Order: sequence, then structure tokens, then C-alpha cells
Amino acid sequence: MNIVQEDRNKKIIRAFLNNIVWIIFLFLIVTFSIGINGFFSIDNYINIIYHSVFIGILAIAETYVLISGNMDLSVESTAACSAIISVWLVSSSPYASGLMLQTWVGFVVVIAIGASVGLFNAFFVVKLKINAFLVTLSSYIFVRAIAIWITGGYGMSGLPESFRFIDRIKLLEIPLMVFLMFALYILFEFILKRSRFGRHIYVLGGNENAARNFGINVNRLLFKVFILSGIISAFAGWLMGARANGAVASMGRGYLFEVLTAVVIGGVSLTGGVGSLAGVFAGALILSSIHSALNITAVSPFITNVIQGFLIIIAVSLDSIKRMFK
Amino acid sequence: MTTDDKKVFLKIDDVSKYFGSVTALSNVSFDVYENEIVGLVGDNGAGKSTLIKIISGNFPPDSGKIYFQDGIIRFSNPSDARRAGIETVYQDLSICDNLDAPSNLFIGREIYKKVLGLEILNMAEMKKKTKEIISEVGIKIPSIDEKVQYLSGGQRQAISLGRFIAWGKKLILLDEPTAALGVRETRKVLDLIKRTKEERKEASIILISHNLQQVFEIVDRIVVLGHGKVIGIRRTKETNTDEIVSLITGAIFVNQGKKGK
Repeated sequence: MNIVQEDRNKKIIRAFLNNIVWIIFLFLIVTFSIGINGFFSIDNYINIIYHSVFIGILAIAETYVLISGNMDLSVESTAACSAIISVWLVSSSPYASGLMLQTWVGFVVVIAIGASVGLFNAFFVVKLKINAFLVTLSSYIFVRAIAIWITGGYGMSGLPESFRFIDRIKLLEIPLMVFLMFALYILFEFILKRSRFGRHIYVLGGNENAARNFGINVNRLLFKVFILSGIISAFAGWLMGARANGAVASMGRGYLFEVLTAVVIGGVSLTGGVGSLAGVFAGALILSSIHSALNITAVSPFITNVIQGFLIIIAVSLDSIKRMFK
Repeated sequence: MTTDDKKVFLKIDDVSKYFGSVTALSNVSFDVYENEIVGLVGDNGAGKSTLIKIISGNFPPDSGKIYFQDGIIRFSNPSDARRAGIETVYQDLSICDNLDAPSNLFIGREIYKKVLGLEILNMAEMKKKTKEIISEVGIKIPSIDEKVQYLSGGQRQAISLGRFIAWGKKLILLDEPTAALGVRETRKVLDLIKRTKEERKEASIILISHNLQQVFEIVDRIVVLGHGKVIGIRRTKETNTDEIVSLITGAIFVNQGKKGK
């Protein structure tokens, strides 16, 4: 009887630790709402989600790659490249290409660019067996640089309404982008948890040998994962262009570490096979909440980084504690 | 019981395998008859696991042929072998710590249901089947919803063995299936292997084990490998532990792979 009881206690503790990120998020929201004047309002809550959209969407890409047992440092640069190129192709600014292409043409081009970056990453990881960290460090450096080189790196503004409306449009006073992020999370969580593709990503991240022994085409799977990551990142970048109503060379700089923070806080293991988008979503919201709280209280922005730094170590420690409850 | 009147089920014919300059297998030949258990023994590095991995389609031989039932087999990956009815229990168990028991049991052959034309993972069905399979293995798993990392060595082994119980219809390759088990669990697994032979008349089993006592208890014939070569083949009834040990350790080199065929 005792063993059953003990077993149940362990399960409860494990369930608690598995959902700790949501508990932390709720704790923060309640604390900020009570303690900070001006934090508690529906508008601010919507604002928090609205400002988590880019990090949130990039985190989806990163989560897929991490669960497969790899790493993608190029998500930020792919997004930046996508934002810069799509604006350059479409904008009427004198610093733009002058082509003034249709919005959808710009979209197709940057999605293709995102897929190409993914293809590049996958090629070197799969075919030449180079560590994904190094391959994507390389693309992290050169992908943004290529965009700046092509466009000259000038700030561009002035987008056609067809491009801007993606950011402007609201449903029930809530920006479309918020719904878009929700939809992407639901879609990609479903794919991860319920489709063959998603299931095989977990198997690969858990034990590559087992994946091969049971006939999973590991190479093809990795190509798919990296290309998907590139496409999602490019999509996020395209949205960034729409919101900024233009583009600058330094766009999205620093997003990579925010993304990695959100993903790690969200419970995704860097060693592969572990994590879910439900947790990552909370991770992205936690970061955005902290930004919002610090904004409202107008304390030094460097505090943000202090808190973010500590959040990572707390999240990772909790993960370590979780493993002790075998 | 003699094996002479039985049909050859699997024929390993002059198989060699090299890894760079290392010779893993050199001109290995032996037969496995229908409904027979063959023990594959030999020191570490003798080539046992390499041979298993060639039969199971993990990699092709550099030379030689393998006949299975009536045709030559040339598998390009383990799925081909599985489809042909060859089921392997790998020494490393091929278990994913991050997944639960049903997910592990069904790696690469998950059950899906069609919903609006899309294939959706059918966890309920996989759980149901897992319970049946694990109960047949006879090693209890407290909760099949738990990630496998929380299970004991024996319970993890049970999942790995469950795969051959569920799908090992023709040829079953067992690479050290009792390595992680305690005394009582080992007993159960040995009984399970014997029972499998009795119940599945159309199936044959190749067992790799370091435990000669086990080998003598359940196998019909013993193939001794050493440095990638067949050192000797013996009928279990016509030999004893001493002779097999001497073959393994290289004390005697007689009847190079001929006797007992």
C-alpha cells in the first residue's frame, strides 16, 4: 500500500514539475498585477501576448530542431534577412530595390529564402556530419550579412497597405498576429504530438540508434526539420517587416537568446527528445511579461537581462531536480 | 530429435564484412533450420553482433550471400528485414528514455487512425496492445504511461522483448536478451524463448549470449565465432560446456565448422 502511495506522490510531484512553467507564469502575472500599478488591464495582457509574437513563433522553429537533438542558431538571422529582403522588394522607399513587387511575391521569395537556409544547414549537418551548432553559427553570421550586402543596409520604410494590414488588422480589439501565433502553436503542437513526423522527431531526439534500427529515415527527417525551421523563421521575419512598416539592418538583433531562453524555460531539453510547445508558449509569455513589468516600472533595462539570466538557471535547475524524482 | 530432416530456413553463405582495415567477419557460413534455436557464442569482438546486424538489415555484407526461406535477401535497411518477418532485439535495447512504453514498443510502426484524411497517432490502441504484449512477456511494468527513463533495467528489457513477441513471426534475432535482468526475470525470458519456439512452428531463433548455461538449456545447436570466423558448430546434445569454452578460448581447433552440420 505504501509503495502505491509513494508512487502516487512521485507522480503528483512530477506532474507539478512538468507544468512548472505555467505555474511560474501565473505566479508572475498575479504578482505583477497586484504589485505594479498599471499592469492589471486587459489591454496590457493583450499587449504582452502581442509583444511575444516574434519570439514565440521563432521558438516554435527552435523547439522542433532542439527536440530532434540538434540546434539552430540561424533563426534570428533568417528572420532578419526575411524582413529586410521582403521590405526591400516591396517598399517604395528610395533605398529599396525599386521593384515595388506585390506583397505576396515578396512573401514567396522570403519563404523560399528561409527554406534555402534550412536546406543549407541540413546539408552540412546530415551529409558532412558537422555539429549543428557550428553549421548554424555560420549561417547565423552570414545570412543577415547577405541581406545587408544586397540591400546596402539602409533603413527602409513605406510599405503598401497590403503588407501593413497584417499588423494593423484586429478582431475583437485583438491584433490578428495574436490569433496567428495561437493558431501556429496549436497546429505545430498537434503535428509534434500526433503526427508521424512529430513522433519520429521525438524518437530521433531520444535515441538516434533506435530510430535507425527501426527504419526511420533519419537523414530525410533532419532535412525536413531544418527546412521547416527556416520557413517558420522566415515567416516570423516577414511579420516583423509588416509590424515595423520597414526594415533596418539591425532588425531583431538579440532575438536568438530570447528564443533560446523561452525554449529552455519552457522545458525543452538541449540534449533532445524532451519538451512541448505548450511549455514553450508559457516561456515566451513569461519573457514578455517581465519586459512589460519593467517597462511600466521604468527601471533600468539591464535588469531585464539580470532576470532573464537567472530565469534560465532556475529553469534548468528545476529540470535537474525533476530527474531526481525517479 | 535430429535436424537432418528439417528444412534450411536461413543460410549464411560465405559472408565477410570489413570495417576499414578491420575484418569483422571472414567467410562465415552456417545454416539455421526451421523451428530451431541456434546459439551464437564467442568472445567479445568475435563478430556476433556484426552478423546479427547484417541479417537484420542494418548494413550489407561486403561479400557472401544470405538466403532466407527461398530467396536471397538483400536488405537496404532494417525496415525491409522487418517486413520480411525478421525481428531483432538489439543489445542496446534501442529504447527511447524520453518516451513511454507504448511509444517505445511501436517505434517505426506506430498505429495511426485516419481523421479527415490525416493520419493521427492512435495512442489508445497502442496502449491497449502494449498491455497485452507486456503481459505476455511476463515482466510487470507498473505504469505504461510513464516515461521509460523511470523504469528499471528489467522493465526496459521487457519492452525490447515485447517487440519480438509481437512481431517475431519468422526469424527472431536476440542479442544478449537477458543482460539487464535479475535471476527471476531471466528465468521468465528463457521460458518465453522456449515457449515461442514451441508455439511458433514456422519461426526460428538466433540467440547471442555469454551465459553458456543458458545457451545449453535452450538452444538446439551452437555456433562458435572467433575473430570473425566460424570456429565450430555443435549440436547441444553432443557437446559440453568444456568443449565450447575451449573453442571460444581457442584451445582446440578441430573440425573447422563441419561437425554437426
